Amino acid sequence: MRKLTRKSAALAACSAAVLALATACSSSSGSTAAPAATGSATGTITWFANQFGPTTSDVRKTLISAFEKAYPGITVKLEQAPSDSDTYRSTLVTQISGGSSSFDVYNGDVVWPAQFAKAGLALPLNSYFDSSYWNNFSNGLVTSLTYKGQTYAVPLFTDNAFLFYRKDLLAKAHLPVPTTWEQLQSEAATLQKDGLVKYGFAAQFDSYEGLTCDFTEFAADAGGSTVSADGSKSTINSAADLKALTYMRGLVTSGVAPSAVTTFQEQQSESLFTAGQVAFLRNWTYAYADSNTAGTSKVAGNVGVTNLPTFAGQSGPGYSVTGGWNLYVNPHSKNLAADVAFLKWMTGTQAQTIIAEQGGEIPTVASVLQDSQVQAANPAFPIAAKNKLNARPSFVAQYAQVSQAIYNNINAALSGSVSPQSALSSADSQINTALANTGL
Amino acid sequence: MARRRTRNLGTNIAALVIAAFVALPLYWMVASSFKGQADITSSAAVPPHPTTSNYGNAFSNYGFGTYLMNSAVVAVTTTLIVLALGIFAGYALARLPMRGKTAIMTSLLMISLFPTIAVVAPLYLLLRDIGWLNSYQGLVLSYTALMLPFAIWILRNFFLTIPFAMEESARIDGAGPVRTVLSVILPQALPGVFTAGVFTFVAAWTEFIIALTLNNEDRYRTIAVGIALFGGQYTTPYGTIFAASAVAMLPIALLVLVFRRAVVSGLTAGAVKG
Amino acid sequence: MTSTDTRGRPRRTALQRRSARLGWTFASPALLVVAAVMIFPIVFSVVMSLNKVAVSGNGFQLNGFTGSNYSVLFHAPRFWHDLEFTVLYTIFTVAIEMVLGTLVALVLERLTNARGWMMALLLMPWALITVVSAELWAYIYNGVYGVLDTVLGTVGVHNLNVLGTPLQASIAMAVADIWKTTPFVAIMVLAGLVMLPSEIVEAARVDGARAWTIFWKIRLPLLRPALAVAVLFRILQAFGLFDLPYVLTNGGPGTSTESLAVLGYKVLFNDLEFGPGAAVAAFTAVIVLVFCLLFLKVFRTQVGEQED
Repeated sequence: MRKLTRKSAALAACSAAVLALATACSSSSGSTAAPAATGSATGTITWFANQFGPTTSDVRKTLISAFEKAYPGITVKLEQAPSDSDTYRSTLVTQISGGSSSFDVYNGDVVWPAQFAKAGLALPLNSYFDSSYWNNFSNGLVTSLTYKGQTYAVPLFTDNAFLFYRKDLLAKAHLPVPTTWEQLQSEAATLQKDGLVKYGFAAQFDSYEGLTCDFTEFAADAGGSTVSADGSKSTINSAADLKALTYMRGLVTSGVAPSAVTTFQEQQSESLFTAGQVAFLRNWTYAYADSNTAGTSKVAGNVGVTNLPTFAGQSGPGYSVTGGWNLYVNPHSKNLAADVAFLKWMTGTQAQTIIAEQGGEIPTVASVLQDSQVQAANPAFPIAAKNKLNARPSFVAQYAQVSQAIYNNINAALSGSVSPQSALSSADSQINTALANTGL
Repeated sequence: MARRRTRNLGTNIAALVIAAFVALPLYWMVASSFKGQADITSSAAVPPHPTTSNYGNAFSNYGFGTYLMNSAVVAVTTTLIVLALGIFAGYALARLPMRGKTAIMTSLLMISLFPTIAVVAPLYLLLRDIGWLNSYQGLVLSYTALMLPFAIWILRNFFLTIPFAMEESARIDGAGPVRTVLSVILPQALPGVFTAGVFTFVAAWTEFIIALTLNNEDRYRTIAVGIALFGGQYTTPYGTIFAASAVAMLPIALLVLVFRRAVVSGLTAGAVKG
Repeated sequence: MTSTDTRGRPRRTALQRRSARLGWTFASPALLVVAAVMIFPIVFSVVMSLNKVAVSGNGFQLNGFTGSNYSVLFHAPRFWHDLEFTVLYTIFTVAIEMVLGTLVALVLERLTNARGWMMALLLMPWALITVVSAELWAYIYNGVYGVLDTVLGTVGVHNLNVLGTPLQASIAMAVADIWKTTPFVAIMVLAGLVMLPSEIVEAARVDGARAWTIFWKIRLPLLRPALAVAVLFRILQAFGLFDLPYVLTNGGPGTSTESLAVLGYKVLFNDLEFGPGAAVAAFTAVIVLVFCLLFLKVFRTQVGEQED
């Protein structure tokens, strides 16, 4: 009797496991062809979105009420997403691969299209928008949404990086706004020597995705890149990239940047600036409004913004990496007509204006960015229009591994653990391993 | 006499040192929860312009009240179920002549040590198939399975220390097996039960990754996940996070304080064994 | 009639068989719950680690049995580095926590009125959500406005870049970890201490033995079961260390504070490589299992297992 119960219990457990395994392997049998968005756009859809824009007013709710007024037949439910991009991605992947249809459209990082396309986690959108729709956005933007000929997202808003500087300090020292990195370093050193400010320059050099952004900018300014244009091999081990990395390391060793800069993400670099302890800052669009808020910033009113500098001998302003967020469609969504209407409206003039004016983010629709009223709302916008843009190599599906190879090694070099040359060699081999799909 | 006084003094000093080490970071957290946005970079021992705006923010902007309630429901239910199942299992594995006890204890350990991150995605599939996503019962079931091994280990070890004569006298008194466990053995092992209960409660209260994956809907969200929603892409609102955490810690502090008499008497009762 | 059964074990009485059945009745609910919920995910994970896995909108596609996930793992220097870091970190923190926790428990035992309050205070770090605790320490260690810099500044140490220097970052992480989990050990040891039979200790004291001898030779050996459980589960938790490195340093500077769990998470959820990620998890489990079995073997007689 005892033996029987034990054996049958074990059998039950095993068969349960096998059964569940079989179910999971052949889970939701969805068709691979993209279903047509037939029918009129009505019903309820759920928008899974993280917070963007200022934390004091929720621009998502403004957008939703404006959308529901324009489309009375559709109700939009907002579902809060984690603010950290990687945490957010982990829950997205688990749910979508598990067949969840509990959300219809979701915000996603701009570096996700290739990866999500390859993993089948986003719906290809070509069949729902005619080709003229994509003319609303710049070519570079559309390319960033495309993988193997299909587009997988619409651009919600974009983000650029700028050089923020202390107008008052430059005036006191009679220095012009720097246009090259070498000039910036010498001006910063002068300001420090004169005792006007504690540190000269701050950026985001922590071991995370933000460092990939910063390094991509410096490398592009020096004339280098990280991945070849066809995505087949690494180009990081080059003289140009070495020049960029040596310059970055030089900022730390010369004391222009605090040694703790290798632990800075946006928040720390911004806090250093708003506390008045650094003269120059490389940061995103939001930093302008943030550093000019009287109650919380000690440098409010003294902040200037301009395009990033480049290296001596190169033309034009320095490169700014493109950030921002896209809107994707869940492949398991049951209300495609409403989803498409939502996507179209969110990239329309009305929504983009709200995003620009209330959200403080750069709109993706060129005509909205050129609009004088929008430009007046944020002094960073006219500067953004003159930015030279560069994208991270997110067009490869293995971008996550490539980025880790970049930021792990660059951070090690900036902390002084390894020399810049060996960091680049190490990154080079790791990127190649990632592109060949032979690594971790 | 003098020796006893120095010993007490030594103990008290040691206790103060320990209390300081434990309390200082906590003080910093609570103090920082009263710092407004502008003061967050201040290192002053007392916040320069204390404000309760972070607390208001947590509850009004982020709906923290709901999260508190959800966490409470899940944690209390999980603890009760874990204790109910674990006490009997621990008793059986400690004192009844089953075959294969070592195998069971080792298997429980093995199940316990598999990294949770790898378990999350298949667990999601399992609960999806049962239909218990975005619910209390899904989370309770997952937590119970996750925390039972440890509870069983603790309880079994504590049950082992009780003299076997207990069962004999209970049997002579005519008590059935369940009553033996509940009325005779259990009171002797209260410290163990308390330990297992507290740890299960805290584990369920603070668990993050499973709660993030299984309960995505706002109305079933727990505290740990709720706090992850605070702030935007480039800002970690320390003030609000600390305020929310201070509030989240209160129930546990209150629980222990309320039950400390029972704990103390349970602990001292254990020492007076015949 | 022989007195041994077919497997050579002594035959059991009817009473024993009944008791054993009762045992299974008592234990089954708990065991079934654990098995029903956890066996599938674990088996699935192990199966994934032995297959080429493609994640798609329709679930995980297992495309072919292969050992390549493991070979990729073993050929990655990053994996070995993370393993070394995790092992060293585990040994270091668990050892310190055990010593400190026992000391704290001894102090707690002697307190009378204050014991309840001290226990409540001690539980607070343990009751903090791990992510929040990590954020708190990130705030304390912050290179710009962290209070640690201010405190160290008063004793003349300036510009310490704690989180940006490899060894210091590991130590900083260890301090945060020890702060949070020593209470766990302390309470377990305390519970064990108060359940020790007092007669033996009394007898020794009457015989004139000094407190230290009593502790070392009498109480500590009797405490071994409680200590063993604490060590076992602390090893488990330390090996699974995730929130602290993820929030504090993201594994940096470089990868010097990257634990195996962080690596597993990044491979699974950043790279979306579920095959290698499952391999990391399975291999971690194997290593921890080896640790635990070794530990149990050494302490076998003290853990008090009985075979019938």
